[in-house]
This record gives sequence, structure tokens and C-alpha cells, in this order.
Amino acid sequence: MSMNRNLLFKNLTICLLLLVANVVWAQEVTVTGQVTGADDGLGIPSVNVRVKGTTSQGTISDAQGNYRISVPTGSTLVFSFVGYISKEVAVANQTVINLQLAPDAVALGEVVVTAFGVEREKKSLGYAMTSVSGAEVSEVKETNVINSLAGKVAGVVVSPGTFGPGSSTRVILRGNNSLTGNNQPLYVIDGIPMNDSGFGSSNSDNGGEFSRSDYGNGIGDINPDDVASISVLKGPNAAALYGSRASNGVILITTKKGSLNSGLGVTVSSSFQALDAMLLPEFQNQYGQGSNGNPLLTTGASWGGALDGSSQPYYTGENRPYSAQPGNIEDFFRTGSNIVNTIAIDGGNENASARFSYTNTQANSILPNSDIKRHNFNLRTTARLTDKFSLDAKVSYSQTQGKNRVGLGTEGVVANLYSLPRNIALADLQDFQNESDFSVRTYTDGGTNPYWVMNNDRNDDSRNRLLGFVKLDYQISDELTVFARVGADFTDQRIESVNQFGHWFYSTGRFNFSDNKESEVNADFLATYTKRLSDDFSLSVNVGGNHRVSKSEGSGIFGEDFKIPTQATLPSATTLIPRYDFEAVKKVNSLYAAAQLSYQDILFLDITGRNDWSSTLPESNRSFFYPSASVSVLMNEIFELDNSVVNLAKFRVSWAQVGNDTDPFQLQNTFRLEQNGYLGRTTLIRPETRFDLNLKPEQVSTFEMGLEWQMFGNRLYGDFTYYNIDSKDLIWAVPIAGGAFGRLNTNVGEVNNKGIELLIGGIPVQTEDFSWDVSLNLAHNTNELVSFIEDVQSFEFSSTNGGTVNVQATKGGGYGDILGTTWLTNENGQRVVNSEGIPIADSEKQLLGNYQPDWVGGFTNTFRYKNMSLRVLIDARFGGEVFSGADAGLDGAGVSNRSLLYREGGVVLDAVTNTGTPENPIWTPNTENITSQEYFGALGGIASNYVYDQTNIRLRELAVSYRLPSSLLDNTFINSASVSLVGRNLFFISKKIDNFDPESSYSTTSFAQGVLYYNLPSLRSMGVTINLGF
Amino acid sequence: MKSIYKNFLILCLLGAFACTSDFDEINRLPGSITADESSARYFLTNVQFELYGPNRFPYWRGPLIHGDRFAGYFTFGYNGSWWNDGLGYTYNGGYTDATYGWLEGYLRNLDNFLDATETGGEFENANMYAVGLIMKGLYFSKFTDIFGEMPYSETGDNDILSPKFDTQLEIYQGVITELDEAMSIIGAQTVTGDGVEDMGDNDLFYSGDLQKWKKLANTLKLKMGMRAMGAPGAGFANGAVTEAMSNPLMEMTDEDAMLIKDEVISQWGSAAYGDIWHNFGGLGSKWHVGETLISALRDNDDPRLSIYAKPAAGGSITLRNPVDPDEVKSYDLMLSTLDDAGVVYNTSVSGDEVTVSFAADQYYIGQPTRLNGVAYDFAGWDMFSTPSDIVINPKNGGPIAPELILSSADAFLLRALAVVEGVGSGDANTFYQSGISRSMEAWGVSGDAITEFLTNSPMGTLSGTVDEMREKVNTQRWIASYTNGFEGWAIVRKTGYPAGLAAGVSDADIFSMGDTNGAYPQRMRYGNSVRDRNGTNLTEALGRQGADDMGVTLWFAK
Repeated sequence: MSMNRNLLFKNLTICLLLLVANVVWAQEVTVTGQVTGADDGLGIPSVNVRVKGTTSQGTISDAQGNYRISVPTGSTLVFSFVGYISKEVAVANQTVINLQLAPDAVALGEVVVTAFGVEREKKSLGYAMTSVSGAEVSEVKETNVINSLAGKVAGVVVSPGTFGPGSSTRVILRGNNSLTGNNQPLYVIDGIPMNDSGFGSSNSDNGGEFSRSDYGNGIGDINPDDVASISVLKGPNAAALYGSRASNGVILITTKKGSLNSGLGVTVSSSFQALDAMLLPEFQNQYGQGSNGNPLLTTGASWGGALDGSSQPYYTGENRPYSAQPGNIEDFFRTGSNIVNTIAIDGGNENASARFSYTNTQANSILPNSDIKRHNFNLRTTARLTDKFSLDAKVSYSQTQGKNRVGLGTEGVVANLYSLPRNIALADLQDFQNESDFSVRTYTDGGTNPYWVMNNDRNDDSRNRLLGFVKLDYQISDELTVFARVGADFTDQRIESVNQFGHWFYSTGRFNFSDNKESEVNADFLATYTKRLSDDFSLSVNVGGNHRVSKSEGSGIFGEDFKIPTQATLPSATTLIPRYDFEAVKKVNSLYAAAQLSYQDILFLDITGRNDWSSTLPESNRSFFYPSASVSVLMNEIFELDNSVVNLAKFRVSWAQVGNDTDPFQLQNTFRLEQNGYLGRTTLIRPETRFDLNLKPEQVSTFEMGLEWQMFGNRLYGDFTYYNIDSKDLIWAVPIAGGAFGRLNTNVGEVNNKGIELLIGGIPVQTEDFSWDVSLNLAHNTNELVSFIEDVQSFEFSSTNGGTVNVQATKGGGYGDILGTTWLTNENGQRVVNSEGIPIADSEKQLLGNYQPDWVGGFTNTFRYKNMSLRVLIDARFGGEVFSGADAGLDGAGVSNRSLLYREGGVVLDAVTNTGTPENPIWTPNTENITSQEYFGALGGIASNYVYDQTNIRLRELAVSYRLPSSLLDNTFINSASVSLVGRNLFFISKKIDNFDPESSYSTTSFAQGVLYYNLPSLRSMGVTINLGF
Repeated sequence: MKSIYKNFLILCLLGAFACTSDFDEINRLPGSITADESSARYFLTNVQFELYGPNRFPYWRGPLIHGDRFAGYFTFGYNGSWWNDGLGYTYNGGYTDATYGWLEGYLRNLDNFLDATETGGEFENANMYAVGLIMKGLYFSKFTDIFGEMPYSETGDNDILSPKFDTQLEIYQGVITELDEAMSIIGAQTVTGDGVEDMGDNDLFYSGDLQKWKKLANTLKLKMGMRAMGAPGAGFANGAVTEAMSNPLMEMTDEDAMLIKDEVISQWGSAAYGDIWHNFGGLGSKWHVGETLISALRDNDDPRLSIYAKPAAGGSITLRNPVDPDEVKSYDLMLSTLDDAGVVYNTSVSGDEVTVSFAADQYYIGQPTRLNGVAYDFAGWDMFSTPSDIVINPKNGGPIAPELILSSADAFLLRALAVVEGVGSGDANTFYQSGISRSMEAWGVSGDAITEFLTNSPMGTLSGTVDEMREKVNTQRWIASYTNGFEGWAIVRKTGYPAGLAAGVSDADIFSMGDTNGAYPQRMRYGNSVRDRNGTNLTEALGRQGADDMGVTLWFAK
């Protein structure tokens, strides 16, 4: 590589590092022009246009790629944009400079957004990081923007909630590190950490299986159309500077800005997607409501007689033909839809810019009468106040209204629906209430009616979120800049749920109205000093601090026994129980510093240190320091490899430590006064958990090394990473036996995650008109609970209601082990039945699997032909198991296709029975015949029958885009136009479980993984997106 | 100069970012209570009610599903029930865990009360500590009789996370010693102290009357002595019984230990049968009274019959006409049960249905215990007696019978049994008749009806051979424990009476064999939580006690 090129990159690095510097303006000339993509000829928005050798003198192109900049005569302009190869143009005497940038998916000069919003060249980083462009998330719009990451980034496991539109998403980077705490990454929006919590969502620890709702998590409030880029900082290495919450990695989201010197531009985008169930369980259509092979109205199960069309009593009181209703599950669902409309206006002059956008989202669930409406408003302004001061400010407001958020679980609406006897017609169930006494009208006494749930009960919510910041940049000198910023995130969510009078479980009605407020304010500053020490060495130092205040409070009122059956209101309730949770406050102060030293742009050394002071830890331990260090070496430079073969061979290694604090109020052992003591007595209780008053911060240490390479002019590239993450001193309320406490909250245990990540890509074909890009990412993670409190063997995340399955972390074993009952065998290995011939479950649970996948991967192919592009994303999970409580339930209810086994004549199981005593068994061959109903009734208690391999491969995403050539638009007021046809979750290429999506679990929390119960089916979406620029 | 100013500014900023002055204050939970704001009496109430009236989750899964059904008081498995009557007899992990978890978790509050009141505790009060010891006795005797060996001697120490298991022999001996200690502390005192040191109305059993607590302790000692008697190595039992009988025992119903039901509290605070009976729309969650109990009352003209149960609804009950031999057998069992109850009924067959009709609300008919899935179809809901309203009334919907703990009826019947067994002195029949009288008084039977029963019923007088007398006394103890299923079940296991229940079932065509192959369940399996938290000690205990199997006979019943 020539020295020239080396220098160029050095300068560029400095340019980008000194984001906000400024210089005195010399004699100036105004240059305008348009930056277009070499791939499609269309204008590229948000291109950085800067004067070479200065730091902040620059602008950003508008939505059509137009820019306007005043520059000193004789200067050189640098054009850069994420995903494109940067270009330099000497201004000379030109006043119009139009140019094309070549796309560069993983290019040498790629610039990425790192911690604190600092843009850096990717090659200088000593740790793994991946960027996804805004186009990739806004093209195929998901109601929750983060779902779009699935399959696109190695080592990221994205598990969307199965509660329909607006549900939360579980995102795990490199495995689970914490036992009870949050295992999800920190989201940072334009430098401001976001509160990602939500009710019933991935961040709560409630895993109740009867019925639960998911009201979405914070990241779901971000508008996909506002996203400029997403950077995934996978390990604590990359995140060491974000502090304690970053121990699970960080996802940085940069939103769009207006551009200076651009005039006014308008972009309109419309997207419509139709949604339907990707798969439904297979139901039998041969036997109807009944028991023991005969029709019977007092049972809700389908163990009745053959559906022969004979006239039989029906629940409505008349006789009906005893016939199958094959469509009575799928016909309950409607075609869902997701309609997103965005209008964005941006503009600016030399000194100020603004971008305003409004997005309206209407997402209709496939369940009747259930939808989400969302309004997103976003205003971003930038201004140069003086030649030294500049301002950046944003305010975004979102309002999400959920109507009839679905309740799922063993008593949820999908469970109600799936267990419908096979001869019950949906049309009859639509008449769901008896007029005389308001009671539910359904197929059996005490049975459920899914139409009642969707049309009579209520589960509505409304969430308002205000997110914004003000940031002031000040350039003290050419080498020293500083910014100060205040950011805030306010959320208020109201939830109203009602079970109406006449409900099968709550026959006199009940409601729960609640309101919860959360807020987080961050004030921070950062000083950046950059110095070229010599021809060979450059130094950059950042010093900063952050002050965080998080607050939450909640109130609510529960009422039951309605005086007026139709009134679910406070005055109508006979019993009212109010609730108010005092405001919980947590403060964290932090100071940090980072230094980067580079040698000849060949060797890069990064050192960071951060100290946090957390109000949740005891005084002696509340201050904790953690460092990180990383090195990146460009081997191709050192060994002077042939530039036509090897463009880049970077070796990187890093080590980092991150501390982690805990929630408020864990440092005092007190008593609690009960709201309603027995018989009105004043009663106190000692809380179950005993707090360790000398709590220490958790510590996560990471070692990571990797190799990145690019060959043949970037036609072949790759990235390999190995990591080892050790989490120690986990803060955890350990269940303990004995004593006045049930749990001891203390530092305990150690969790280890090790893994590899691999990215291989290339451009097999690249011609003027046609290109084919291909990339494959794969990741493997192993997870172990290394050590633990003495005598305690495991930590249970969840156990099923029937007690047949535990999901736990086992000492010396995996995180997420699935233990369950098996069919009892005797010492000879023979299966044991009781004297009726019915299978017996073993009393000791066996290890039946682990919910964490062995490998996850994604395979993307992108084809471009002129203005047309086709992107195909296939993603896969290999290994990992899931217990399907739903399959067990469907078999037990006699509705599944599988339950046709042994229907006629029953079965004498090949097993033995004990005709002796428990102490002295005598094993005698079984001769007893049991019915199919008895067989499946017993099988449901034997978990091993319902543990499935999660391995699956699916067509995750297919997108065809066409951009109208500018020639067609020349004489119109439209500047740009594109149309995309997109599909997500189209079909499974392979899977090993028949009835459900193997990636589903009954909710997205850590406490509900590895078990699935009657999820809403995974959705297949197909739609069209239109983008117009004016 | 300028740079000094800048440096100063940066230092100030750094200072602000490291300020932690209010950290301690904001990390204190608002509304929490410290020791100087409270008294031990406020911790007693929950310790009392949670052992007998827990929240609906364990109330249903423990006392109702296991206790009352194993005791033969209640039955599921009628046509329309959510379960056949094999439920529980076949191990159910979820329901077992709920039962175990409730009793295991209960210890915390009890232990807290003992810690707080013992010498040197936050609310030191020797008298309240004595009350805590008596609660501890009630708790451990109940818990161990359900499951067997459990941690006893090493519990209560916050630093022992994995306490060892003690044998039942050790637990029984330990509890009796602690009861003696409690009685000795109480001595002649009547109250625990003055002001907030007086338990007062926080004591749900006796409103702070210590002499009643002392009688409860002595009656419990008598019960445990009688239960241990005859078990391997239980040499201490005779002495305990003799001592107990020579000290004051419960004599009058106002000395009964019982828990008045709170009709206002949410079912998630403390449940009643009515919460389960009424709060679900359909038949699925309800239950019948067992045939053994109904016939024991009905066939002996016991006036408690109409207080314990309601007549069968009767009328016309349409069933499927039985075809298979199992179905015919099931159907015949129902008809023979009607015959035994003296029911005048008609049957008529129409197509594939058969209708059984008899007079509405007239006959007391119990449902046979442990019906299987085939018999389920033939056990019509209207065919059998349900519990009376006083048992299943919804909260705020009429009177609800209190939870029985230990009563003067038990005290007299135990004395009668001791005399029959040749341990105590006194007149067995007098004790016996007093026991029956106290039980009937507690349930509101009139004096005349009691006299009538004692005079004329074959069960009214204790006479006959020792075995006949044993059967009578123990059957009366079992009848008197109605709705206290765990106690009733322990009586059947210890004494073998009522013999029909203790014999289990053998006809797999109509009865559910469960995991014990038809034998009477002798214990419940341990909860899964103990495997996770205290597995090594559990394994050691199972090595002594036998496999974790419902058929394994516990020490006290050997």
C-alpha cells in the first residue's frame, strides 16, 4: 500500500474523530452538487461532506443527495457515508461538484458509530461490531424495529414476542450473562440510553403461565423510518464505556438529521403488509365432544364418538348433526395488517437544519377486535450558534394505543380456541352471552368462549413516551472539543383490563386499572483531545462524565363483584383494592476516560476506564472502577501483503471488565405493613428476601479476539471472533431452606459464556448492471453455570403448572436446562404402568435438553440489476430444545391429529406392572387395555414426550425493490421514487416440531424460555412499501 | 489564565458527577417499618391463619385436593368434574409442589416470630415465645404427617442453608419437649404482657388468653403421644400421654382451637371452600361428599349429617346406557349406592340413554371414592350429596364454618382412646360421649338431639371388644375432623379406620388405581423445590424412610 493512501486514512481518521471541531474561515467559495450511488444512480441522503484537514467544517446531503457548502478556496472535500467508499475531490475552481460513491458493504474505509456517538473507522477497532443501515430496517417494516435484526448480525438471537403487534422482543447478544437480571442489551438512541422496560415484557421476571399479556418494551416505540443506522456492540468490550447496563452489549441507534444547505425536501413513505398465521397445529376431524368414545355435553374435550353426522344433543339445547367443523380454528383468525405511513420534511441553510417526521402505524392483529395504533412525532434540529458553538437537539413523542392486547397462556384465548371440541361451529360461539343473566354461553358448563375474550372482556393500554436531548458542542481549540448534553426519556403507561360479569372464572366480574410512570434523565459531558504526536503516532483522548437519575412509580385499583353487571366501573365494584407504589429512585454517577494511540495507521491501542457510583449499592462498595484495553493490528501492512490479493487482514484482541449494580431498595431489612390484615387486624410481615447489606457490584470480564480480512478488491471478506465472557459475583436472591427468610439476596455464583462468530461474504458477480452479494453469518455459544452457593445445585427459572418440567440453570451445567418427567422404567429398563395399564411418570426429573441453540445463522443473497434489487434472507437455528405444553394440552383434549392413535379398541401397552410391594416389586407383564383418552391423559404427565428439537431453517425475509430511474422523473415534481415488495417469515425450509414455531416460548422473559404454551401463531407477512421524495 | 479557568470548570463538573450525598436516603424503601415502630403481636396473626386458611392456590391444591379427598370427606370425578377421582392418587407434580411449597414457606413467618420473641430477640417476650413454640408444634406435627421426615432440628438458623432431615421419631420427641417448655413458661400466667405486649386481638385463636394456649399445648401433646404410640422406638409415647392426661386438657368448646373465617379478605390472601366452589362458572371445580362419611352418619342417625351435607338434588338424571362390561359395572355401582342409601328410584331406558329418577332433595347419598374415568360418566352430579352451605358459602354470602385445628372433642376422644388402649385412666365411655357432644355442640347440634343420639344410636355408647371400641373412637375422631382433611387422613393411616377407606380399591374396571395400585396413600411425595435446594440431605432421608413414593408407610403409622 502506498504511503499516500496511508496518509489519507490517517487524516480521515482525525477528521472523523474530531467531530465537532471548527476552524476560522478563510476566503470562501460555495460549492453545490449531488452525491449519487454508483449502484443505482440515486441521490444518497445524509452523506458527510467535509473540508479535508478540518474537523467540523462540513454539511450533510439532503434526502436527494444534494448538498451545499462554503469552503475555503483550494480546499479538498471529503465525502463519506456508511456503506460507501469515501471519496476526496479537490475543489479548485469548481462551484458544482456531482459525484458518485461506490457501495462498499464491508469496506476498508467503513466508518462506524461507536460509544458516545464517536464515528471511527472500523479497521481501527479492537473489538467486533456490526452495523445495519437504516434502509434495511425501514424497507421491511416491523412494528418493533429491532425484529429486523434477525438473521442479519452474527451472534444476535432475536426472539419476537408472540403476542401479536406491539409485543416485546427478546434480544440476546452472545448468550445470557445474568441469572435473574436483565440479559438484554442496552439501547442507546442518539447517545441517550433508553429505558427498555415494559409490562409483561422481556424485561420483567414474571413467568406466570395461566394468562399473561405483553404490553411491549421500550425499543418498540422507535420509529423504523427515523433510523439512520444501527450499530451492534456485542460484548462488554465495545460497551465498557456505557457502564453497568452495558454488560450485555449495546445497540446504538442513530436517527436521521436534517442537512445544512439543502433547502426543503419532503419524503413520503407508505407501507402495507398483510399478515397471516405461518402455521397452525394439525387438528383431527374424526371425533367430537365427549368422553370415553361417546358424545357428552358436560366435557369440553373431544374424546367423544366418531363424527358420523348422527343427530346428537348440542350445547345450544337443540340436536345437531354430530359432524366435524374443520375450519373452526383457522376461521377465528382474520388477515392481520400493518399499515405504516410516514411523512418527513427536512431542510436547512448554512447555519441550521431541521428534520420533522410523523409516522402513523395501524397494526391489526390476526385476532378479531385487537389492534395497535401508534403515532410517532420526531423533530431534530441542528444549529451553528457561533463558529465555536453548535447545537443539536431532538424531541420525539410517541403514543401507542393497544386495544385488546391478547392474554396468552394455558387459560389464554389461543388455549380457549385450540381446545374447542371438533364439532363446535364458530358461528354458534359468536353468540357469547346469555341475555337473561349475562353469563357466558358456550359449549360446556364452565367452558370458555374465545369470542367473549375478544369482544366482551377488555385489555387496553395507552403508552406515551417522550424522548429527547439537547447537546451543545464547543470547540475550545483545534485539538480540544467538549460537549455537554442532557437527555430524557419519560414513559407513562395506562393499562385497563376487565373480565366482564358472567366470565367463566370470574363470574361476578373484575377489573384492574393501573398507571405506571417511568423516567430516566442523563446529563453527560465529553471532552475530546486529539493530537498528532509525530509522523508515526496519533493520540486521541476522551474524558467524560454522566449523571443518571431513573425513577418509577405506579398506582392502580383492582375491583370485583359488579353491582350492575354491565358496569365495569369503580362505583359498580363491591370490593376495591387500591395500590400505590412509592417512587423508586436510582442514581448513578460516572466518570470515564478513553485513549486511543495509533501507530502509522497500522497498530491501534485503546484503553478505557470508568468509575461508577451507584445509589443501589452500600457506601463501601458503591464506587466501582472497570477498565478495558484493546489492540488492533493490520497484518497486511506489517507483512506488506500483495494489495491485489489481500486488502485487509486485521487481527484484534481485547479485554474488558464491566461492573453492574442492582435495583433500588436492596440494602435494608425492614418489615412491611399489610394492606388488609386477617379479620382487619394490623399485621406485619418480614419480607421473604433477606438482603446482604454488603452487596458488591457484579463483574463481567470479557476476552475477545478476532480476525477480519478482505481480499480481491473486497470481493471476498470475512470476520471471525472468539470470545469468553465470565460473569462473577452475580447479585441474586438465592432460594434458601430454613430460617426466617426464603431467599438471600447476595453476590453469588459465576456464569461463563464462550463462543465464536463467523461472517463470510463476497461479491461473486459484479458488472455494470448486475451484482450478486452473498453473506453468511454463524454463531455458536456455550453457557455454563460455573459456581454457585454451597449446597444449592440449581436455580429454577420456571416450573410448569403441572409440575412436569423445570427450566433451570444447573451448577456445572447449562443455563436453560430443561428437566422433565419421563416414563418410569424398572431396573431392567422396562416401562412401568399401574394395575390399570396406565403409564406412570418417574419421580426424578431427567435432563431433556436446553433451550439455548447450539448455532444460529443467517444467509443473505442480494441481487441487483440496474434499478432492481432482490434480497433473500434465510436464517437458521440449530440445536436447542423446547417443551411444548401446548402439544401436551392438545393431545389431552383429544383435538390434535396425534390423538387419533388408539381411538378404536384402545391399547395394551408393552410394559410391566408391579404386583408386589413398593419395597419388593414383582414385575408382571401388562395385560390391561386402556383407551386413547387414558393413554394421552397419562402421557401429558410425562414431559419427555413433548420436548422437541428447535432446529429450523426459514425464509426470514424476501424483498424486491425497484427504484424509478431519475430519467423518468425528470419532468415531474418527484425527485425520487421506489417501490418494494417484501415478505417476512414466509415459510419453513426445515423444522422438527409439527404444530408450533420452534422459536416460540410463552413469553420473552428469562423466566419463560424453553417452554411454549398456546402462543399466537408466528406470522407470515407480505406487503408493499412505496417511498417518494419531493 | 484562560486554561486555568477551563481546568477549574472541568474539575467542578467532575465533582458534580461524583456526588453521592443523597444516595443512602433515596435507596430506602418508603413505607417500610423498622423494629422500633412495631411489636411482635403484629407478626402472630399471619402465623396463625396461614397454616389453616392459606391463599387459594395451596388451599385448593393442598387441603382440598389431597387432604379432604384422601380423608374420604370429598370426591371429584362426577360427570362434569374437571378431573376423575384418581386425581392426587396419581402423583401430580404441580399440586404436590403447591402443597409442599405452602408448608415449607410457612416456616419463614413462624421462624421470624420465634426469632423476634426469644431471649435477645427484637421483641423479646417469653410468653409470646411460648405461643410461638405451640404454633411450631402444630406446624411440624401437620407437616411431618403429610410428607414424613423433614428438617426440624436445624431449621430456624438463618446461617444453615441446607438443614439436615430429622426422623419422625426425633420430630415427635422434639415437639413434645418444646410443648413442655411452652407450658412451663406459661405457668399460671393469663396474658403475654401489657399494652402492645399483650397479643390481644392479634391472637386469632384465644384473644391472648394464655391458659387456653396451655390447654391447646397439652391437648396437642396428648394427640402426638397417641399418634406415636406403637411406632418403632416410640417409648416416650406412653409417658407423654400419661402426663398430658394428668394436666388440664381442653374441656369446653370455647377452648377449641379454631380459625374464624375472614369473609372480607381476598381469596389471594386467605381462601375458603366457597372461593373455589362459587368463583368458577361451571361444575368442574365442585365436589361431592364421600360415600364413607355419608353412610357413617346416615346409618347411625347422626344429627351432624344434615349439618355436614345436603341431600342429593335428585330428580331425573340422564346417563348413557352402559354397554361395555366396565360401564355396566360402573352403572351398577351407582345403583347399589342408591340402594344402600335406601333411595326409591326408577330407571327407564330410551335409545342409548338411561334415566335414573328419584325424589329431589330428600336422600343423603355419598359418592364412592376413587372412581375412574369410565365410572365418571355414570356418576351424575345430581345423584349425590354436596357439602352443606355452611361449608361452601361464598364470602359475605352466609355463615362459614371455622377451620378446625384441635378441639375439646379431639381431647375427649383421645382420652377415650388412651383408656381403651390401656394407657390412661378414667371412664372411656364418658370421655367418648363428651367428645361426641363437644363435636356436635361445635357444629350447632341441639342438646336434645345430642342426648337422643347418645341414647339411641349404635354409635352413641362406647362398648364391645377393644377392637370394636377402637373402631368407634377412631371413626368418631375421623367424623369430628370433617373439613380438616389432613387430620382425617392421618387418623385413617394410623388407626385403619374407617376400614373401607383404609383398604383402598382393587377393581381397576371402575376405580382409579393411581400410583399405589389401589392401596391407600400413605404420604405425599416431597416437593421439587427441596430436591433443588436441599438434595443431598433429602437423599439421605429417603435412604432411611424408603423411596419417595406415595405408598411408603410413615413411621407413625407403622
